[in-house]
Amino acid sequence: MLELYNIKKSFPGNFEPTLKDINLNLRQGDFCIVIGSNGSGKSTLMRTISGECTLDSGKIAINGKDATKQDRSEFIACVTQDVTKGTISEMTLLENIILSQMRGKSGNLNFYKKKETKVISIIKSLNMGLEAYINQPLQKLSGGQKQIIATLMAISSKPEILLLDEHTSALDPKMQKSLMQYTTQSIAQYNITAMMITHKLDDAATYGNRLIMLHQGRIVLDVHGEEKKALDTNMLLALFHQYEDLTLKSSGETL
Amino acid sequence: MISELILTGILQGLLLAFVAYGVMIPFRLLNFPDLTAEGAYPLGGAITASLIILEVNPIIAVLIGAIGGGLAGIATAYIHLQFKVNTLLAGIILSTMLYSVNLRLMGKPNLALFNQNILFSSDNILIRILIVSTLLALFIIPLLLFLRTNLGLRLRAVGFNPEFAKRHSISITRWTLFGLFLGNAYTGLAGGLMVQTQCYADVGMGIGIVIHALAALMIGESIVGNATLRKQLLAPLIGALIYQQIQGLALSLGLAPSDLKLLTGGIVLIVIAIRGKVL
Repeated sequence: MLELYNIKKSFPGNFEPTLKDINLNLRQGDFCIVIGSNGSGKSTLMRTISGECTLDSGKIAINGKDATKQDRSEFIACVTQDVTKGTISEMTLLENIILSQMRGKSGNLNFYKKKETKVISIIKSLNMGLEAYINQPLQKLSGGQKQIIATLMAISSKPEILLLDEHTSALDPKMQKSLMQYTTQSIAQYNITAMMITHKLDDAATYGNRLIMLHQGRIVLDVHGEEKKALDTNMLLALFHQYEDLTLKSSGETL
Repeated sequence: MISELILTGILQGLLLAFVAYGVMIPFRLLNFPDLTAEGAYPLGGAITASLIILEVNPIIAVLIGAIGGGLAGIATAYIHLQFKVNTLLAGIILSTMLYSVNLRLMGKPNLALFNQNILFSSDNILIRILIVSTLLALFIIPLLLFLRTNLGLRLRAVGFNPEFAKRHSISITRWTLFGLFLGNAYTGLAGGLMVQTQCYADVGMGIGIVIHALAALMIGESIVGNATLRKQLLAPLIGALIYQQIQGLALSLGLAPSDLKLLTGGIVLIVIAIRGKVL
């Protein structure tokens, strides 16, 4: 469904490329967790897939077709830590959600207010009390509420591919759990192919049917199915330490 | 005397409201500071006056004038999008070029429309106000309705957050071209109506029109706000009506007409200082 071939990406001024020969093949409905230390290339990988960053070399295919040079916004929805990219703070919650539902579709001259009842029912399904803000501009909401709305918007646009970059980082533990439940249910319900970056190893062990670990721009671990199910937080932590030690040894540093 | 002054101010305010809407669309809805109005306003006037002299129906003439203004807006948007020229500079370049175009259209610096078939054949100012009010309603209500549709939402999204628009497959190019057309069509329409009000077209009639419209817009926004779509669309009208009354009051107090531009600049600066932000 989403195929990456030999993806390379470097930034001016960086000694080493940020992404080196990334190869990955996700099937329809796969929920792939992406972990790795800071600077390992996780966010760059997401930005490269979404089209926000151009590739140095390599190929991206969607549904078997080369989409490397194509505008991929039609297929992909993203939620990043910076919610300003995924929402319009001057517009109301209703207007934001209507816009997200129109993603990739041709517009029409229907009044968007007519969909208010339907949108309220979608927001109610989150069970987070956000329906009270339906006609409020997003700038009046907290950072956490905006993150929930950005996720809701991305999912309600029913994308083929959903990219989540620490999309629960501004939420309290209870809200995090609720949003993760909504996210996983929606991914399964709409058969969305998803990738989620997280630093929370509990979440990495709990969610998704596939997990990749990035280290210095390379995929150093790729597990799915039963192997993924067998992973727990302690095992992931041990893997993290293993690669951290390798880095320190290769650069001649000592702890 | 005073009532006549107030009524003249209302008429002038209604005409200025078209330009204020024309400036508001690129500035506020598209976040595209645009000075094309300096050229689009006299272009609308020049086209309308030239067609009226050719005995074209005055309503058709003014509509063609509006389309001319709209095309000027498209040209500015194209210059900005294609050649990456700053929006203000693109507007200045186009307005400068339009000066020659307007002279060509009129054949001389000004055209008199006395004894021609024009919209404002009646000297009764109340009838004139009624005509302009009706036209304003006919052109602004559809704008309000359009902005409440799914397509209107897309236009606003481009101005608020182009990054968001790109991610949602909304064409920034297409909507910028459309928005600049729409805004400058309103300005061209105002030019066409103004020449029929004053019974002549002048090649220099656009000088300072953007600052007049901006002053009106900012006064309106200071009074009614611009937090909601309704307020944003009410602001140009309220602002233009108040602005023209201030001008009328200044004239009645003995200010020379040549000093009005100084007054306008002062009003803009005061509003900026009160609101604490530029535009």
